[in-house]
Amino acid sequence: MITIDEITIVRDGREIIYGYSEQIPAGSITVITGPNGCGKSTLLAAIAGDIAPEKGTITIDGHHPILTPPRTLSKIRAMVKQNQFYSLGFSVREVIEMAGNADEILAVLALEHLADRAVTTLSAGEAQRVSIAQAIAQKAPVLILDEPFAAQDNENRKRIIDLLKKLAEGGVTVVVVAHSSEQELTWADKVIKQFL
Amino acid sequence: MKIGKRSFFVINFLLVIFAGLIALSVGPTKIDGFFSQLIQPGSNEILWQIRFPRVIAAVIVGAALGVAGLMAQGASNNALAEPSILGTASGAALGAVIAILLGLAQVGSIAAIVSGVIGALLATTLTLKIASLRGNLSSFALIIVGIAVSATLTALVGLASAIITQPDARSISFWNFGSLALITYENLAGVIATTFIGMLIAWKVAPNLDRLSLGDETAFHLGVNVTRTRLLALVALSLLAGGAVSTVGIIAFIGLAAPHIARFIYGPKHRLLVIESALIGSLILVIADTLARTLAAPNELSIGLLTSLLGAPILVALVSFRNNVWRVQ
Repeated sequence: MITIDEITIVRDGREIIYGYSEQIPAGSITVITGPNGCGKSTLLAAIAGDIAPEKGTITIDGHHPILTPPRTLSKIRAMVKQNQFYSLGFSVREVIEMAGNADEILAVLALEHLADRAVTTLSAGEAQRVSIAQAIAQKAPVLILDEPFAAQDNENRKRIIDLLKKLAEGGVTVVVVAHSSEQELTWADKVIKQFL
Repeated sequence: MKIGKRSFFVINFLLVIFAGLIALSVGPTKIDGFFSQLIQPGSNEILWQIRFPRVIAAVIVGAALGVAGLMAQGASNNALAEPSILGTASGAALGAVIAILLGLAQVGSIAAIVSGVIGALLATTLTLKIASLRGNLSSFALIIVGIAVSATLTALVGLASAIITQPDARSISFWNFGSLALITYENLAGVIATTFIGMLIAWKVAPNLDRLSLGDETAFHLGVNVTRTRLLALVALSLLAGGAVSTVGIIAFIGLAAPHIARFIYGPKHRLLVIESALIGSLILVIADTLARTLAAPNELSIGLLTSLLGAPILVALVSFRNNVWRVQ
């Protein structure tokens, strides 16, 4: 369970989130939607422990992300960034293995044929799926994804949604930021619309 | 490691041994019965008291500079970083020169090395701090600030060395272009110690540098303590470059060329690159030093000129080939 309690987040002197509270149940898929700049990515960054709220608290199963050492935190939550840039030519397999075992997830996300390719040569959609695969290989009980469908075609979008549903059924708490209409979000257990 | 990479490793290792043997055998004085003298330590004074420590120094310093470059590039996640560009080398030179000026040390002594390492650490930290004042550490900011810090510290080395009374430390050419001519067994010990400790830290921090190449945020998400990793890499860089520079002066280009050549052959994994950058750095410096003391004998050329002449074309050739080893954002 992720508990967000009256948080205020200020970035570059601007209040991005003010007095916001929310509870995200364990083993569920929660999708956050809203217009650009409303603070969706900022909220995810705060849950992931990247930034500290000015006021209020966030806890993941009782742990405060901002107070938890990085290694311990990596066993509690995994995070997929919106845009992952790869500067060094590690293979797809090597990048996933930085987090955990690669074999199973390569097959599930249709990345097997790319396993030995340098990540610097991938298309945006492929790079995004590698990023998702790496986070899932981390096997953390909370999975946070910032716009994971941005560069995906319909087939891969469906593949990722099926995977997220399967993970949630297995007890993983999934939090996703997505630009989707409400009709398209039938796969989500909870939708938070324009959360301010 | 694939078989191809393992073969390259063996070839590289054998090349260092081969280049070392050639370096021992050539010079102004011909050594009769070279191989029989070689298996009898101490038998020939020129071989054992002059050439042997010098060749060992070339192997050690070359390895130190190669891995120092790897740490600089890994810690800053920047393909252009190297000890000379980050100000590390000139910081080490200034640290050593100040210690010599104050009468606390001599070139290559433990005290000069300690001062050099402290100077290297302070200069590198200064460059990184100033370059990241406006947020992210961009390549542009890092290189501009590094050049500025390096130029300032080099000027201070020039001023300080002009008022030193010790003849061996007075030479601005020594501090700016390096020389292995003054190496003795006594001042080898210090640089061997800093290189060994620096390499151990580099080996330890290498897997986290792999993760750091994905960016600070992703590395943090994977459980890396980014600040600690970067600090450890900078300590390794300062030990390696500081120990080398305070013993033989600044030798440019190896720190830039060796990791790139190693990466092109062996790929981006930092653990493998620690070994390979060391071997390639050793090979370049042994060849460069042999050429420096034989091309215009009995005069010696500046070794920095030779490392640039050897390293630059190799580097240009490598980046001209189509490769996906390092992509710049």
